[in-house]
Amino acid sequence: MAKVLEGPGMGLLQKWGLKTPNYVVVSSADEFDQLASANDWLSSSKLVVKAHEALGSRFKLGLVKVGLDLAAAKSAVRDMLGKQVESVTIKQVIVSQAIDHTEEYYAAAQSTRDGVEIMTTTYGGVEVEANWDKVKRILVDIGETPTDSALAGLAKDAGFTGDTASKMAEFLKKLFICFDNEDAQYLEINPVVKDGNGDLIALDAVTLLDGDAKFRHKDWTFPFAAEFGRAYTKNEEEVMAVDAKVKGSVKLIEIPGGNIAMLPAGGGASVYYSDAVVARGGKLANYAEYSGDPPDWAVEVLTEKVCSLPKLKHIIVGGAIANFTDVKKTFGGIINAFRKAKGEGKLDGVKIWVRRGGPNEKQGLAAMSALKDEGFDIHVFDRTTPLTDIVDMAMAAN
Amino acid sequence: MSILATKDTHVVIQGGVAGVNAAKRMAEFRYMIKQPLNVSAFVYPPDAGKTNDIICGTELVAVPIYKTVAEATANHPEINTSLVYVGANRAYEGSLDALNDPKIHTVSMITEGLPEKDSKLLGKHARKLGKVFNGPSSIGVVSAGECRLGVIGGAFDNLTACKLYRPGSFGVITKSGGLSNEIIWICSQFADGITTAIGIGGDAYPGTDYVSYLEMFENDLSTKAVVIVGEMGGDLEERAAEWYGAKKRRIKLLAVVSGFCQESLPKGMKFGHAGAKEGLKGEGSARAKSEALKKSGAIVPDTFGALGPAIKATHEELLKSGEVKAIPDLAPADVPRLPKTVAEAKKDGEVLVAPLIRSTISDDRGDEPLYQGYPASELINSGYDIPHIIGLLWDNRLVSKQEAEIIKRIIMLSADHGPCVSGALTTVIAACAGIGLSQAVAAGMIMIGPRFGGAVTDAGRWFKYAIDNKMSVEDFLAYMKQNVGPVPGIGHRVKSLKNPDKRVKELVGYVKSLGMNTPHLDFALEVEKITSVKKDNLILNVDGTMAAVLVDIKFPVDSLNGFFILARTIGMIGHWTDQKRQGSRLIRLFDYLVNYASPKRREVPPLK
Repeated sequence: MAKVLEGPGMGLLQKWGLKTPNYVVVSSADEFDQLASANDWLSSSKLVVKAHEALGSRFKLGLVKVGLDLAAAKSAVRDMLGKQVESVTIKQVIVSQAIDHTEEYYAAAQSTRDGVEIMTTTYGGVEVEANWDKVKRILVDIGETPTDSALAGLAKDAGFTGDTASKMAEFLKKLFICFDNEDAQYLEINPVVKDGNGDLIALDAVTLLDGDAKFRHKDWTFPFAAEFGRAYTKNEEEVMAVDAKVKGSVKLIEIPGGNIAMLPAGGGASVYYSDAVVARGGKLANYAEYSGDPPDWAVEVLTEKVCSLPKLKHIIVGGAIANFTDVKKTFGGIINAFRKAKGEGKLDGVKIWVRRGGPNEKQGLAAMSALKDEGFDIHVFDRTTPLTDIVDMAMAAN
Repeated sequence: MSILATKDTHVVIQGGVAGVNAAKRMAEFRYMIKQPLNVSAFVYPPDAGKTNDIICGTELVAVPIYKTVAEATANHPEINTSLVYVGANRAYEGSLDALNDPKIHTVSMITEGLPEKDSKLLGKHARKLGKVFNGPSSIGVVSAGECRLGVIGGAFDNLTACKLYRPGSFGVITKSGGLSNEIIWICSQFADGITTAIGIGGDAYPGTDYVSYLEMFENDLSTKAVVIVGEMGGDLEERAAEWYGAKKRRIKLLAVVSGFCQESLPKGMKFGHAGAKEGLKGEGSARAKSEALKKSGAIVPDTFGALGPAIKATHEELLKSGEVKAIPDLAPADVPRLPKTVAEAKKDGEVLVAPLIRSTISDDRGDEPLYQGYPASELINSGYDIPHIIGLLWDNRLVSKQEAEIIKRIIMLSADHGPCVSGALTTVIAACAGIGLSQAVAAGMIMIGPRFGGAVTDAGRWFKYAIDNKMSVEDFLAYMKQNVGPVPGIGHRVKSLKNPDKRVKELVGYVKSLGMNTPHLDFALEVEKITSVKKDNLILNVDGTMAAVLVDIKFPVDSLNGFFILARTIGMIGHWTDQKRQGSRLIRLFDYLVNYASPKRREVPPLK
């Protein structure tokens, strides 16, 4: 799932014939000034200014300003750009035309196992959460297109009447076409409102696209944003860059405040290891995994980042029995990074726990055991030790 | 008994290198169970028409490569399964080809990163056709004792450790590849092993979900229990729970689900969209799935670690009830082993290999070459030079400083003799004809023979013969006239007493100055005294001088031509690069340099 910010999200809606307010995305106050001179609507309309970054709760953080005239908007743009919020520096701001409206509706399309679910309700805007039971939906089988009558029926069910109902049916049809053609996984328009002409217009969009489909979308020139309400950290971005380059994968998500670092192999096993830590009351310092037989240097980079997490007590180097990841080779990368980190004093007082199986497991585990002779506080177990027992042992050693 | 991958499975593999690797692993499995390879063909357009050689035990099986699935199944009508190792941007089309082929019933996709839309379409299409689309992102399927699809199970020693050479009683379905292997291991250690293990892949919308396979397992009487390894997200585990609880089932179901840690992770790690409201009711979460499965009657250990004991308890129940019998372990000696490579067998002292070649001069097996045991770098750093290397490699000895100097001078004097001589001229002509360096130099070297550069060995042979037999110069010349012919080392096309060869003078002068004992050189000079009187150009030439000197410093006769060849190569390379540098054009001999002595033009007689 790849999150796309409002600007590009609106762009995709427009591409498929959905109406959106005018908007610009700017990276400098000067740029905004120039655009203001070139675009009448910026002077003649009320404006909404929002920080264009992957941050949650922007309204609460004061990063959404509504009802501004151009002068106030310019001031807001200047204030927001360059501001440091949590770990993010605001680099872009989106300024859109405020649309006077009374009603707020809701429309969304979401990917399901059998196809696409189209949802709508007249209870849109901030009310939608409280009125979730009022959301009506139809399922469009994969490979099919919703019929006009099905969409008309959905709009009626959801409480739309008269001209608005047919307009919403039309809106939903275009929403589906956009969703289908852009390999979307989630498109939520909240609110949908009526503009001065009585047309339905999308005031906001949450857009999640299938990142794996990028190869067939040459016009996806926008970057994907972080999905969990904060920007990626520098370490996470560096690991993502390595991940994009190599065969196999390496992943890292930092969790502030934890003291148990994870360095497991496998997307599946890594979650079980995390579960084991949490089940025993431990505090995760990160989530990580490597898999698909990545090159040793990639695992070394990942390990380097893990070792630089602050205030660690344990590092869990776990894993199931690999099918084709070379244990000796990948452990070689981990060991390189361990040595470097130890030299920098990062592993003082840190216990390392290893459990693994797979191709060349004997040599890999032996190489890890040999680190004892170099003064590492390391404990090594093979496949005869159950998968997550090293977590139990680590917690007991506290 | 098994599902999906059976003893009747015959496979076409769509893809390149990754597919070949999978075939290799599948061949190891078949070798383990003493069955022939079950990969009939590959589909890989760039290599269509060729074959991939797959090692099966000690044999190589040539498996043909086709351009399309249709060609493959037309040529190999036994094919009923396809493995898709095609890249994400073409995997949809490839899988569709396979599903649409009337012969193919099961398609398993290993490819990761397939767009979800493609995944859903393939799943729907397979269901419409009554076929199976497994994956994407599937590590494969393995049925113990019968068939392996893909690399699931890993290296050979893991296959035998997990007893995959014979069926057990447990079915396994996992999303994760690595964990499928772990569960296979656990089932073999805590119970009696597996019937079939299936990786359905970790994508959001797998082509086939747990329920379809549970149905198949339910109908497979040899499977008594199924282990599911699930994770948060989607609703596959809930559907499995629904199926299991819908009516009384024969198979026992054990399940673990990961993702409980999500509950304790900081808010920042959740998705912030309206759809998360679904999550508020707990649906799709690890806890919801666990609860659903427990409610349906499945055994759901609280942690992954508790799964092993749960599997063990289930197996013990099955033994107790008589549903399964204990399977005796194989004696260690009977556990299948891959044939060793010759290198491995030799290392273990199990095989005697008679060498084909005996070499006494150098050894390349270490981190640097050893010349007669001396590391090259040490020779270099101790001040030894090229002539010493020649001595070591041509005569198995370290020559003295003096001898090295002589060799060096010989090489320097013989390095080139201009572009007119046979060898250089040939190289020049070749260079101008656009021939590459080594070929052009080789052409020049072919000219080295009895009349050009190749007389050194023979000169040395006969001077040595004379000395060994204590012949006088007169006896020697008479012997040569009677039995051999012209004396090699004597005579030159151009040089003579009046037009002496300074190379000879230099070499002789230097050698003499050393005060060495040089019986062959002395003899050769005596021979020259006599022969040059008869004819002015019957001087001791450079070949003869080199030969005499080299024999005097104890080089074996057979090595002597080597000095000329080695030295003159320097010049030949130079002539080649020289012509290249100048961009010289093709050379054609001018016809006025040829005496055209063939008959003048005449009438062609009628054909009789």
